[in-house]
Amino acid sequence: MRRAFVILVVVLFGLVFTSLVIAHNERHSLRPLAESYVKLIPQELGAPNVITGILLTYRAFDTLGEVAVLFMVAAGVGLVLGASNKRRKSSPRKVVETARLSSEIVQSGAQILAPLIAIFAAYIIMNGHRSAGGGFQGGAVIASGVLLLVLASTRYRVDLEFLSMTESAAGVLFVLTGIAGLIFAGGFLDNRMLPLGQFGAFFSAGAIPILSVLLGVKVGCELSVIIDRFRA
Amino acid sequence: MAELIGSILVLLGAIFHFSAGLGMLRMPDAYTRMQAGTKASTLGNTLILLGLGFYHPEWSLKLLIIICFVLMTNPVSSHALARAAHMIRIPMTRRTTVDALRATRQRRRSGK
Repeated sequence: MRRAFVILVVVLFGLVFTSLVIAHNERHSLRPLAESYVKLIPQELGAPNVITGILLTYRAFDTLGEVAVLFMVAAGVGLVLGASNKRRKSSPRKVVETARLSSEIVQSGAQILAPLIAIFAAYIIMNGHRSAGGGFQGGAVIASGVLLLVLASTRYRVDLEFLSMTESAAGVLFVLTGIAGLIFAGGFLDNRMLPLGQFGAFFSAGAIPILSVLLGVKVGCELSVIIDRFRA
Repeated sequence: MAELIGSILVLLGAIFHFSAGLGMLRMPDAYTRMQAGTKASTLGNTLILLGLGFYHPEWSLKLLIIICFVLMTNPVSSHALARAAHMIRIPMTRRTTVDALRATRQRRRSGK
């Protein structure tokens, strides 16, 4: 009975997906909206990566909102898991002793990998305006490095105070950059307050790299705080 | 010619990935599944990236870095997972006869 039901579900899913595949015909031209973005962004903003161009200028206000949502998540996790953290603070040594030590392979692996992950995160953040990447992705990579360090060493403590200070500073600077755009260029978070520079160069696309770095720092801090909260 | 070699490497990699998936389904317990997934997918990734390197020689430095990264991370992560599974006593299949990790731990405990 159960088996027949499973087979029925699989067949139904198969039908749905085959109809999707059959109905799919590849568009050979862009939609009008996409085409105007693709033309406009390299011209107007000087960013080869159209997606980052959209996310950090036209839709930068949305991005700010997304970061705020992430901040709310971090705050919520802190609220829910904060009680167990208090217990941890009262007897930190005991926890260290009872926590299982990670193996030698993980420890030495973390020593080699953590710097590499940090470099990779910086690369992703700094090249957001030129190729695939950007602040959010790079911030997630930073947090994965922090997770590796937390796993590798029970003595490694995430400095929550430093992280929250850095995160707030990055957020304030992000908003200030937006206001600078309002004053020196066309509107809130307009990237043309700085010279656009040579198309595709490392320092180009106006304020997009700056916004990307601030975003990366902020997201990395927030996700690191969340990871640390989940530590028993 | 280069494209042919690249295609063959990518196909070989796909075969290894397929065997990894098959191992996930067919292996009897968590540890053997993990080793099937890790070993086969590490080699499969390496082969596919090498094949891509034949297609696009200008990418080869980046691909090489990715291969090194996968070779370093994949074994470490699956080792950590397997060790954690052993710590919380996830059962092994009955056919397993040697458990070196448990033996070492018991020896160490009795030594104390």
